[in-house]
Amino acid sequence: MNKHGETRVLGRVRRDEFIGRADELRRVVSHGQASSHGDRGKGLLVLLAPLSGVSELLRQAYDEIFLQQSDVVPVYFALPQTETTAVSAAIEFLNAFLVQYVACRRNEPELAHTSLTLTDVVQLAPPSDADWIEELVEAYNRERFSEDDRALVRFCLSAPSRVPSHGATPFVMFDAVQLSAYSHDTVPLASEIIRALTLSDQAFVFAGLRREVADTFASAGINARSLEVIHLQPLLEADAGKLIESVSRRLNVGIKDETRDLLAQQLEGSPLFINALLQSARDKHTVLDSYLACERLYVDEIMGGQLSRYFASALERVASDPGTRRAIVRLLCESTTTSAVAGRRASFETWEKRLELDAVEVEKVLRRLHIQEFVNWDGDTINAEGGPEAWRDYLQSRFRLDALREPRALVVAELMSAALKRAPENVARNYRLGASLHMREVVSRFNSQRVPASLFDYSEFAELYKGVDPNEVAAALDVDKELIKLPQVFHTTSGASFSPEMRQFTPDDSCIVAHAFEGATYTDANEVVWLVAKIDSKLEADADLTALWLERLEALADRRALVRRQLWLIANEGFNAEASSLIRERAAFASSQQQFELLSARLSEGEGSLPHGDEGNEFVLVFPMGSDSELLAATTVEQIARRAQFTPEAINQIKTAIVEACINASEHSLSPDRKIYQRFRVEDDKLVVTIASRGVVPSNLEGRNGAGSDESHEATSGPSGDLSNEYGGAAEQRRGWGLKLIQTLMDEVEFERVDEGTSLRMTKYLRKST
Amino acid sequence: MGEPISSSVRSHIVGTTGIVYASDYLNKLTGEKIERECKKQLDSGCRTLVIDFSDAGIVNSIAVSILLGIIDIAEKKQARVVFSDVNDQTVQLFEMLGLIRHVVLARDEQEALTLFTPPTSTEAMSH
Repeated sequence: MNKHGETRVLGRVRRDEFIGRADELRRVVSHGQASSHGDRGKGLLVLLAPLSGVSELLRQAYDEIFLQQSDVVPVYFALPQTETTAVSAAIEFLNAFLVQYVACRRNEPELAHTSLTLTDVVQLAPPSDADWIEELVEAYNRERFSEDDRALVRFCLSAPSRVPSHGATPFVMFDAVQLSAYSHDTVPLASEIIRALTLSDQAFVFAGLRREVADTFASAGINARSLEVIHLQPLLEADAGKLIESVSRRLNVGIKDETRDLLAQQLEGSPLFINALLQSARDKHTVLDSYLACERLYVDEIMGGQLSRYFASALERVASDPGTRRAIVRLLCESTTTSAVAGRRASFETWEKRLELDAVEVEKVLRRLHIQEFVNWDGDTINAEGGPEAWRDYLQSRFRLDALREPRALVVAELMSAALKRAPENVARNYRLGASLHMREVVSRFNSQRVPASLFDYSEFAELYKGVDPNEVAAALDVDKELIKLPQVFHTTSGASFSPEMRQFTPDDSCIVAHAFEGATYTDANEVVWLVAKIDSKLEADADLTALWLERLEALADRRALVRRQLWLIANEGFNAEASSLIRERAAFASSQQQFELLSARLSEGEGSLPHGDEGNEFVLVFPMGSDSELLAATTVEQIARRAQFTPEAINQIKTAIVEACINASEHSLSPDRKIYQRFRVEDDKLVVTIASRGVVPSNLEGRNGAGSDESHEATSGPSGDLSNEYGGAAEQRRGWGLKLIQTLMDEVEFERVDEGTSLRMTKYLRKST
Repeated sequence: MGEPISSSVRSHIVGTTGIVYASDYLNKLTGEKIERECKKQLDSGCRTLVIDFSDAGIVNSIAVSILLGIIDIAEKKQARVVFSDVNDQTVQLFEMLGLIRHVVLARDEQEALTLFTPPTSTEAMSH
């Protein structure tokens, strides 16, 4: 029990200080608990991004299960970085397993991290477990003197499965982040671990670097698809900030809000780096109350502290030969610089030539760098832009010291100068990134919703609403009848991802490319790409700036052959008259920040949700097809429309339209469940009826899906509104009037996008009877 | 007043005029029943068909297409078609779908019967 009255076993931080991993912890613990309920043999993979930190997560899970003292015995084992042979690591595992098993069975937490010999373990074993533990140790002693290393490794790793069925069930949590340190060994440790865990009927956790685990399972011949998976990412910035506060409080390191935010951003949410830096601050009695103090400490860490040791060790695992390491550092530095300027990537041949190694060795080097995510290697080209900023600083410092032989003092001074200059830029960039993420998030929420068209036309918006009270603007938009239907966006990314040149125009992510579908079906004709850019302008953007951005977006679209495109420019204060005219000429959209915020507020969150969440006025009915059930729908809507004070004539029109929609759904959909799903929503000034059915989209509707009523009217009826003009011929031509009739009877008709079948949305505006 | 000739659709014959009553919901099935009944009446020598909508509530587009078919058949047999007691909403629907051009509308069955019946000498004199 610690001074806070909390018992910890292997955990290194208090439970309340373990930040940002609550969901993951709950999943690991419940996975272990499930093994006591007979739900055995289930593996849980924890796939982590480098520096995301998994050890404490597993130690916290260990403590929670240990302290429950159920019939599940947690076993946590992290592959040691220093024990670089498979045999020694396997023996270490056996020892850890037995010590932790006995500690848990005796409910003696302190025993779990005590260094005990196997003889000690046998003596400490509780009577109920003494026999099998003694037998296991005797068998081990026989095995260890054999000449077969692989058999010994296999024996040790399979020890948990030798617990008799009447004993408590071991729940092994294997921390294999250091797995690559064993890749030189003659015994394939990775395969043996996977084999031992998966052949056992016991639940387990296997945690490793995400790029390594898949390879490990594949080389062991085990299919990992059936296993449950947790993806562990670096901490979110808010959580990283909380962790910094918590650790600095615990270590008594002074910190301010500004420096907390700087470190959270600069250390990229890595618990390892955060702990290392704050530990260093404590050791050096440094108060982190300024950017200068933070960057000085950071540079110390890069030049010779824990961060330096971490990267040096990672590089040693990549290549044991110092000369090769120097060549790698040089190559990575040069590649990084080259990539940033021209977007070029190094070829495999370049690496082969520069490292002066044969292809097999270069492959090994690249594979290890790829696993650590220091590079992205697709088998051919190598992109060296990977890794955290601290890694790039480390590379630069090593390159200048080792290859260029520059004086250390100069390197330190310039690294610190660069870090200090970068700090405010990075913080500002982060704020801008936050705003651009908002932009991506808003675009992602388009989801075929209808919004006032004026939100995309700055000049019209300014004419209507400039100087108007914001509440009045919102109210006016509520009743705005000029709507546009947004596409359903399925992918958004930064403009720089499509065209690296965009980086020189937008240092942040304020240009995005969104792929989307218009209409209700996923067809080539409906595919459209939105190119959105936020223009930095304190006043209304002028024509020159606007033209420049329109050209940049057009150029990006041309370069990537994006045929159907929609340009959308956003400028804080909107656009002047000349700029607006340019925008109109290019059929682009333009919004001010105010319009953008209004748009964001109007878009509902998820697919299928209501624009205003006004579910109190919504009625949902499901009817079987056939048996004149459309009459039930008509009767229902009659009651609803009457309550909403629609005129008798309008009510009759709505009823007829619903009957037609139901008939269409019944006749054409080949519905598998033979049901019609109906939704009636009463809004202030309208009734919105949606009739949906599963099944196929009738061929006669495919071309019309997503079309608005105006467009449809033009296409389907003459000026007199007499629908028979073009269909009034032979009897067989007289069918198929349903949709046209609906379009005539209702004010707006459109097909909503659905994955299967059709969903027809019909709107009737209220013109109250007098 | 003539005798009923079908149990599924109410109808009767007055002279050479067959009168058929549309049901509450005029859809494919009820439309086809009316169609069958109308054909029967035409085959039996009726020269005028009156379809009475006094009980009809909703008429769907399939039924309208069937009604157009009845009009076609009647035209081929040189018979006339009268729709009687059609409510305003259904009239609007018929207008939209072009039926009105092909039929005569009567306020009620009585008016329909008089539209194509030669007036008696007394009635003719009173005008």
